[in-house]
Amino acid sequence: MAFSDVTVVVPVDFSEQSDFAVKSALSIAVDPKRLHVVHVLVPLDAVSPGVLLGNITNESRSAAVKKNMAKLVEQQSAVGACEEVLIGDPGLEIADYAKKIGADLIVIPSHGYHGLKRMVLGSVAERVIRHAECSVLVLRRKDAE
Amino acid sequence: MTPARRSSLFWWLAALLLTSGSYVSAAPAPILTVVSPDEAAAGQEPTATPTETQPTSASESAASETAEVSAASSELPPAVEEPAKEDTSLFGKINEKLKPVDGFFGRVNEVTGSVIFYPLPLGAGQTVPLGVLWLVMAATFLTLRMGFINLRGFVHAIKVTAGKYDDPNDAGEVSHFQALTAALSATVGLGNIAGVAVAVGLGGPGATFWMVLAGFLGMSSKFVECTLGQMYRQVRPDGRIMGGAMYYLSNGLREMGLGPLGVVLGFLFAVLCIGGSFAGGNAYQVNQSMGAVGQTLPFVKDYPWVYGLVMSALAGVVIIGGIKRIASTAEKIVPLMCGMYVLACIVILFKNAGAIPAAIMTIFNSAFSTEAGWGGLIGVLIQGFKRAAFSNEAGVGSAAIAHSAAKTDYAVREGIVSLLEPFIDTVVVCTMTALVVVITGAYDYKNPEMDSKMKAQYSFNDDGSVKGIQGAALTSEAMDGQINGFRYVLAAATALFAFSTMISWSYYGERCWAYLFGDNASMSYKIIFLVFSFLGSVISAPNVLDFGDLMIFGMAIPNILGLFLLSGKVKAKLDEYWGKLQSGELDREAEQYRQKAK
Repeated sequence: MAFSDVTVVVPVDFSEQSDFAVKSALSIAVDPKRLHVVHVLVPLDAVSPGVLLGNITNESRSAAVKKNMAKLVEQQSAVGACEEVLIGDPGLEIADYAKKIGADLIVIPSHGYHGLKRMVLGSVAERVIRHAECSVLVLRRKDAE
Repeated sequence: MTPARRSSLFWWLAALLLTSGSYVSAAPAPILTVVSPDEAAAGQEPTATPTETQPTSASESAASETAEVSAASSELPPAVEEPAKEDTSLFGKINEKLKPVDGFFGRVNEVTGSVIFYPLPLGAGQTVPLGVLWLVMAATFLTLRMGFINLRGFVHAIKVTAGKYDDPNDAGEVSHFQALTAALSATVGLGNIAGVAVAVGLGGPGATFWMVLAGFLGMSSKFVECTLGQMYRQVRPDGRIMGGAMYYLSNGLREMGLGPLGVVLGFLFAVLCIGGSFAGGNAYQVNQSMGAVGQTLPFVKDYPWVYGLVMSALAGVVIIGGIKRIASTAEKIVPLMCGMYVLACIVILFKNAGAIPAAIMTIFNSAFSTEAGWGGLIGVLIQGFKRAAFSNEAGVGSAAIAHSAAKTDYAVREGIVSLLEPFIDTVVVCTMTALVVVITGAYDYKNPEMDSKMKAQYSFNDDGSVKGIQGAALTSEAMDGQINGFRYVLAAATALFAFSTMISWSYYGERCWAYLFGDNASMSYKIIFLVFSFLGSVISAPNVLDFGDLMIFGMAIPNILGLFLLSGKVKAKLDEYWGKLQSGELDREAEQYRQKAK
């Protein structure tokens, strides 16, 4: 696949690796309009005080994420990129979203978890690779945990 | 099946297999002292204090015997008891199968319990459980270190809770009042009703005085841990808050150059909190509230699994189904129920107004009485301190998880709100129960004026305390005698308290689970939680349940170590905040919020 005119999905979690991922994805997509910045929220619980007594809702969470996303996109000179907030299992949601918009490539940073978190969670990147129908570029973190 | 689910199931099955192979008949079953939900919430005296370590002199005088805090003297079969005749029902068979697991936990309890509750000799043949001393020492130290914040911060706490300083634009999820409500729903429970009756039975009316004092000191521990919870909380990109002891232990100690210690303590806290949330904050709640409700509604006693199924189904609908209406209704009714209970106590006290001065005199006299020697005095003191520590969870670190979610720019401000928690739980609610129990004479089986019907109905230990869950029944009976029909209100209240405690603890446990395994792994936690809810109604496995309580109490070990080490940082923040408060700067700020809101 030649990397020209490609639509790129880049999942972000607002860590430093996310900055790098957006930058890398933009360098491939070239035009921010072909860049889709995605964040996946875990489903809302029904036991925390914020949900039971406060006013935390999926809408309030999405709005907060969108604000952070706008900042990120601006910092990485990617203004004009499509910003999307999804809810569910991160691996599956990212793969489904890429399929839905007909993306050519997913650029995803890897946290390189070790120990407990790796054992239990595996990695989002692994799940994306397994489920995605398009190409996936995993950016390896040098100082992996 | 997700990897998360697979791995938890694996460990679960592994534990079952390991234990079933190695069960050696009844290790001396650590039997617990009175079972109460507070204790469940705050950790219970583990039975595991080995009988042989009890000083022999303790049994020499009646007073010493009363003072003896050992579980051995006041055994407490949980509500599901009497397995004497062979039970061939399905659940009887399940219980039979679960015996090895219970035996395994019994042995673990003995080891852990012998550390956490190591009986330190105090002289005069008395011992104090290490864990209780640890909590009381911390509370005393922090009260002095924070310059009696429990007293000087009290009025400000009420003003903040009333919303005088609320700025809706501050980061956080809930108001000060809502955070307090959430944390209170985890601590107010059956123990405030049942546990107190038993403590007064064991320690005498004087235990009330020491309980109140310990409640006051606990306000300072609570202040420090909740301030730290706010100081080291994390605001997630979606505006949600993650905070609690695991965060201030790991991040706070790292700041002090004690990173590895912080990681170990944070990990230990999270593991203990998860264990405690399965048993103490969950199975135990179902088990104990079932006992209390069963006294009023015999149907529940006959079909315990129905009660377990209803409770776990309701919890399941909330924590997996995401139907928040049930839980939010319960959370909102708890303060109301709590208020009603206190009101009922006040009515009873008014009805017996003439007896109040005498009751107060009795409490003071027996609190300082050396009639039974110093040993007797210390015994009374320990009963009171223990009750307070078990009841309000100050020093355990759990409440910091809920308080970290409050909206505020000042960490100290939420800490000050949190000191109302031990006040309400222990100084108000527990004391009300104690007064009612003392005034009606319900605690004293030797009391000739005690209702003969009541006396016939309940069984007593040699030391005069009622057996087991009957503590709740006794309080219920005492109150019902004064306000006709109140037992039904109380039965409803205990079930509700238990449910809201379960919901709060599932939140605490899930946060710790997320701390260890990541935000996306909570489904496995929820499934295990619900299994424990149901098991709470059908298994008669006191050791498994006690294990969870031991864990909750164990949380105080890493937490208080952290509180000691981080107390300097809290003191600096407190001084800064107090300076601003004194100068009127905070009032001017609050005025600006109000102007803006208009």
